Formats: sequence, structure tokens, C-alpha cells
Amino acid sequence: MVFNINSFAGPDYKTTVNEQYIRGLKEKTRKPVIGYLCCFAPPEIITAAGAIPYRITGLPGADTSAADSYLEPYGCTYVRNILARAVEEKLDFLDGLVISHSCDMVQRLYGIWTYYHPLAFSYLFNVPHQVTPWAINFFKRELGFFEENLVNFTGQKTNSTKLTDTIMLYNKNRSLIRKIYHLRKEPQPPLEGSEMLDILMAGGVLPAEDYSVFLEATLNNLQKRKLKTGKAPRIMVWGSIIDNPVFYQMIEKTGGRVVCDDTCIGYRVWEKDVPLTEDPYEGLSEHYFVNFQCPRTDRGPGVERFNYLLQRAREYQVDGVIGYCISFCDPHKFDYPDLRDYLKKEGLPMLLIDDNYSFEPTEAIKTRLQAFIEML
Amino acid sequence: MSNSEMSRAIRHLETTGKMKEMLPRFFMRMMERKFSNEPVAWCMVGVPPELLKAFDLLFEWPENFGTMCASRQVAPHFIEVAENDGYSPELCSYVTNTMGYCKLFKETGEAPEESPLPGGMGNPAMLLGSGFVCEPRWKWFQSIATRFFDIPVYSTDPLAPPWDIDPHDPRIADHYLTLLREDLAGQIEFMEKHTGKKLDINHLREIMKLSHEALSYWRDTLALRKAVPTPMGSTDYFHAIIPQMYLVGDQDAVDFYREMYEEVKDRVDRQVGIVEEEKYRLIWFGLPPWFNMGVFNYLESLGAVFVYESTYNVGDYFEVDLSDPLEAIVQRTWQRAVKMHEYGAETMPELCNPAVFGGFSGSSLLGQLVEEYTLNGAMMHLTRSCRAVSFGEVHTRNRLAKINVPSLIFESDMADPRHWSDAQIKTRLHAFLERMEKAKQGGKIDGL
Ligand code: SF4
Ligand code: SF4
Repeated sequence: MVFNINSFAGPDYKTTVNEQYIRGLKEKTRKPVIGYLCCFAPPEIITAAGAIPYRITGLPGADTSAADSYLEPYGCTYVRNILARAVEEKLDFLDGLVISHSCDMVQRLYGIWTYYHPLAFSYLFNVPHQVTPWAINFFKRELGFFEENLVNFTGQKTNSTKLTDTIMLYNKNRSLIRKIYHLRKEPQPPLEGSEMLDILMAGGVLPAEDYSVFLEATLNNLQKRKLKTGKAPRIMVWGSIIDNPVFYQMIEKTGGRVVCDDTCIGYRVWEKDVPLTEDPYEGLSEHYFVNFQCPRTDRGPGVERFNYLLQRAREYQVDGVIGYCISFCDPHKFDYPDLRDYLKKEGLPMLLIDDNYSFEPTEAIKTRLQAFIEML
Repeated sequence: MSNSEMSRAIRHLETTGKMKEMLPRFFMRMMERKFSNEPVAWCMVGVPPELLKAFDLLFEWPENFGTMCASRQVAPHFIEVAENDGYSPELCSYVTNTMGYCKLFKETGEAPEESPLPGGMGNPAMLLGSGFVCEPRWKWFQSIATRFFDIPVYSTDPLAPPWDIDPHDPRIADHYLTLLREDLAGQIEFMEKHTGKKLDINHLREIMKLSHEALSYWRDTLALRKAVPTPMGSTDYFHAIIPQMYLVGDQDAVDFYREMYEEVKDRVDRQVGIVEEEKYRLIWFGLPPWFNMGVFNYLESLGAVFVYESTYNVGDYFEVDLSDPLEAIVQRTWQRAVKMHEYGAETMPELCNPAVFGGFSGSSLLGQLVEEYTLNGAMMHLTRSCRAVSFGEVHTRNRLAKINVPSLIFESDMADPRHWSDAQIKTRLHAFLERMEKAKQGGKIDGL
């Protein structure tokens, strides 16, 4: 098994190992690999259409100068990182690509990438910005166009039974992940936040059936694991994409314990099942659009839009929230002042860390983390 | 900062000078109404201005307010207030300018004294936003209504198909048009509810007739700049966009743009240019540095003139049937998106209206413009805090290099002068003019 949550070997470990794994899988199964970014275009559809969904991750701190010939310097450093990997042909195992119109940067990455480095299949999954009845209908139609285009590419027909079966398979993983998350509600959780992220990252690369096996085994191991002793402040992490455990490890080394999160590879995707509806697009729209709590979607003004987060913080008995913002990440940076004040009112302190997707444990960051954790 | 020698702009046309009388008249009328406590809507580009007029609604444009604060050099003050409140210096400086304004307004209950307009932007009663152009605009009004004013918000969501999807496919057209139509209906429902008025379609049609008439003069004026020497430059261009925002649907605006057209036409006939010797003809991409509009005059003094600006350009595709004015609003948005597809628009899939904002990057339009406007080069303002409009400039540079047109990308900001240095920028401008000179003499330019 490639994934072993007890081993961790440095910052670029997961991305490169995942890529090796996916190359092997592609050779073995002879299925096309479809890379995806963001959580709007359902991987369930990719699986049902006979392809392998692969969640593209960056290589934090890597040299991104290869992106300079195509992209402006001022822009999300994570997006620049991915584009640099693409133009350096490091992602040549991808047969196709689906990018959602999530934030500005990601959807524009799509145009630049596919223009300069066309793939055999590519699709920009367009997503409205507010949750109105007409936006939901648009989303449903978009699911249809995506599926139709993909099926044309893979040549493997789908139908609603096949899609529903795939949704059920993914839901099984969702419920296993929730079980693992729930273990973290314990006063002495059996796993660290960085380990949880490793587990989630495996979900970006393993086929759903294999992921189930992995999750079941992991859950089993964790239930038998000896609990840690000692008290540590309980932390929730909120913010931009975190696809590398280094940031959580920094917090852990400073004496904090990450017990839950609100980031886009984290709990956001797993906390609910896709509802099983007669028309599978209904359930998928509800899950991936209506319920998916990404700040790029306008849920109207007022702090009610953060209630889900507060509720989670309470469930996990969080002592403080650490925000992580990647340079030029508009959706998160705009929400920060409102969120900070709201949490403060509710008695939860918040610290914001700005980073350029290097996850570099600089002295300045370490000192700030330390001061915050000591205060809790 | 404010002591830049480029802060003051000189304009060349008499018509733009007339705005000095026309606009205060308009603002006075607005102010009287504001003082009698009529509700004010804060709006964004992307909200059909004809609708505001049809509802006889008082309105303000925080974006435009940002440009005014920038030109009066007061934006840094507001921006710093917002930064102290936790807004990142990386965020759009129009937004942080507004956030600072709102915070000060909330604290004192009145418009901060630094406001460029008497009474500032007033006290908003509703927010009419639009996701057109960028994502910060979604977060902007959401934050205002969360943090400062507990008022209703409606934002329009004009999506357009990405560059590799064919908008001529009737199923695709229907997919997007359905959204545009329903979204517009949602907006009207919201406005009817919050103004207590019913939309009068006939009135809207009349307003649209006038606004399209004004805009067609503007479009024709811009086309006159193909002439050598160019009869009009950027300082007039960027100034003359204001009536479009405030006076749309007014006879005043029609008269203004008609007079402007006549003046420019007359200059073309008499071959009156804006500089003595026109050495380089340029296209401008990006938002201008509102605090230093004199940069255009500085370039003119070196023989470089701008004959086309990609930003705020209405383009030429709004000929729509006004008999059903609501469908006309939908169609003019859609048809622009379709047109941009025909030109190619790979860096801006969500922009429904790229002819008004931003670069058009991958488009074959570039080649066409270079020929029609006799262009020697392109200058692109990379605005640090507005990625939405500057994104695609590197790509545009690559495309221009292919047709041997030199370009310069220079960095600063549209409203925040902290990112400007006269000395550095001058050095870059001079080096660029030299490169252009070489290219003019047949040298191959560097590029991808
Ligand atoms: S980190 Fe922020 S800006 Fe970057 S892709 Fe994610 S949401 Fe977009
Ligand atoms: S387009 Fe640019 S300047 Fe305009 S609101 Fe968006 S980020 Fe700000």
C-alpha cells in the first residue's frame, strides 16, 4: 500500500508519490486519467464515465518561474505552482482536465493551460455565484454538458443507475471519513491533523473502491491506536487550499492540536453525503453547489454564512482558529475581517497566517503560532 | 505619492471641458434629492444603468468613487483605514477604498470630510452588485452589508461560456441565455420590492433608446481615432466615460457624446493631432493609474500617443432590437460574449462583456486593431490589486510578439499610489520607446 499514515517523509512526498501511483494505475487499468481542481465538477461523474479522477496538487515551495512566460506575477501562488508543473510536462500523465469556475484565478488558469498545452480532453465546469433557483438549474444543466462531453471522450456510456451506484460508493467513503473525523472530537484524539490530511490526500488519487479499503483499514488501526496523553490547545484551521501536511505539522510542533478544519481538501467535501435522488443530478447539485461551503459562492450578507463553521468549532471543542491565506487569495482574504470579528464575539480567538504556498516554517510564522497557541 | 510630477492630466478636447459645468449640475440635483432622504443605491458596472434610471433611483458607483478618491489623492487614507481593519493590502484598492470610507462613515454618521464629492456617497439603502468582471465584486458588497450597513443586496451573475465552448450551438446559447434572463428577472423583482415601484417597460424602452444613441456616438468617436494623427488621446478618453455612468438615458448625455463626436470629426477633417509629431501609436491595456493621469501627457511629450484603450471600451456590438427592452439587455450582454468568442478570449471565460473591461488577450482582434489603428506598440498596466483586469497581459504580450508588435508591462495600481515610483517608471517607459523605435526600423522584437 502506497499510503501509510505512520510514515511521512518531507514536503514533496505526497505529490510525487501520488503521481507515481497514478501512472502505475493508468498503465494497469488502461483508463484515461482526468485531472481536476476544486470541488464543483463531481469526480463521481468521471468515475462513472470510465475514467480515473485525479485531484491535482501542487508542489509547495517549488520554483514557479516556468509559469512566468504565461502568467502575471500577481496571482494565487498555488495556481502559479500548478501551471509551472503543467508547462514543465510534469503532469503529462493526464489525459484530460476539468477545472471548475471556482475562483477567478482557477478559471483563468484553465484558459492559459489549455491554450498553451492542450490536452486530449478539457472542460471548464462553469458555476454560478449565488444560490438561486435559476443558478441551481444552471448547475444541473452544466452537470449534463460535462457528462456528455466526457462520455464522448471516454466512449463509455453512463446512465442514472450507474451514476447512483458510483455516488453510493463515494458516500461510503464520506461516511468512513466522518467516522475518522469524529474520533477527533475525543479529548485525546488518536490522530494528528497532519495525519488526517494525508488520509484525505489519498482520496485524491485512489479509485473509490480502493479508497474504501484504505479508509476501513485506517479506521480500524486508529480505533486500536493508543491515545496520546497531555493536553494541547485544540485548533481549527480555516482558509485557502492546504494540500500538504507541513502547515499542520508546524502547528503541532508548536504545541497545538489541529482537530478540524474548513479548507477545500478538508472536511468541506466530506461532511455530508450526496443525497440519493431519483435524478442523480438533483443530489449532486445539492451537494456540490448548494451545500459546498466555498467562500467563492455568495450566500448573502450577514454572519449567518459562517454558522456552519462555528457549529463545527463547537462540536470539536475548539480553543482557537488559525486562518491560512495564500497570497492573492481573494475569496478568503475578503472574508477574514468578518470571520475574525464574528469568532471573537463568540469567544474564539483567531490568528491569520499569510503564505505564498511555500509552507516554509519561517521564524516569523513560528513565533506568531507560538504566541497564539500559548495564549489559548 | 502625491508629489508625482505626473499627477495632473491635461486634456485636449473642448467637449470634455464642458463636463465641468454639466456634471456639477447633475450632482447638485442628486444631492438635493439625497438631502431629502431619498434612498440611494450603490451600484456596480454590470448593473444595466438604464434600469436605475427607469426606477428613477438615486445611485452611486463605489468603483467610480474609488477613481475620484484616487485622482484627488485621498484614496491612500481610506485604504489605510481598511487595512487597519484587517483587509489585506493585496485586495482591490477600489474595494479597500470603499471599506475605509464605510468605516469612517459608520463611526461619525456622516461622509468623511476627505470625500471628493460633497456628501460623499451618502448612506446606501440597497446594494446592486454584479459578478461581471471579477470575484472581488461578489465579496465587496457582501462585506459592506455584513460589516457596515444592514441593507439588502442583489448581485447579477452574468456567466459566459469558456473559450473552447461554441456559443453558436443553440443548446449552449439556451443554457446561458436562460440564466441571463432569469437573473435579470430576479434583479427587477428585487428593485420593484425595494423601491416600491413597478417597472414601466415603455419608459425603459425610451431610456434605452437614448442610452444607445449616446453610446453609438461614443463608439463612432472611438473609431475616428484610426486617423493619423489621432484626434483624441487617453486623458480625454478616460474622462469621458463618466457621463456613461451617471447620465445614461439622459438627453444631456446624447448631446455630450454627439458634440464630442463632432469635435473629434472636425479635428480629423482638419488633421489636428494631439502632439506635434506622432512617433508612436499605442494601445493601452488595463486600468489607468487614476492618481497619475499625467503619465499619458508625459508620453505624449515624447511623441507617444494612445489611440485605443481596451478598458471601458464599448466596442461595436450593441445593435439590438429595443422593442422588448428586457430581451435587449440580455441580448447585448450575450452578443458581446459571442463576439469575443469569435475573436478568441481564452483568458476570460466568465466575462460576458469583455469589450467593456480588460484585455482581449488571445483574440484575433489584436491583429485587426494593429492594422486598422496603425499601432506600433502596446502598453499594459499591471495593477497589483486588480488582477481581474490585468490578468491575461502576459498572454497578450505573447500574442503581440508573434505579430512583431512590442509591448511593455509595467506595474503599479489603479488607486493606490504607494505602488508608483516616477523614476522607475520613467526609466521603463524610455527603454520601451527605444525598443519601439528599433521595431519601427524593422528590427525583430524579443518575445516568446
Ligand atoms: S488558494 Fe484562493 S485564489 Fe488560490 S485557487 Fe484557492 S481559492 Fe483560488
Ligand atoms: S475589476 Fe479590478 S478594479 Fe474592478 S472591482 Fe474587480 S478587482 Fe477591483
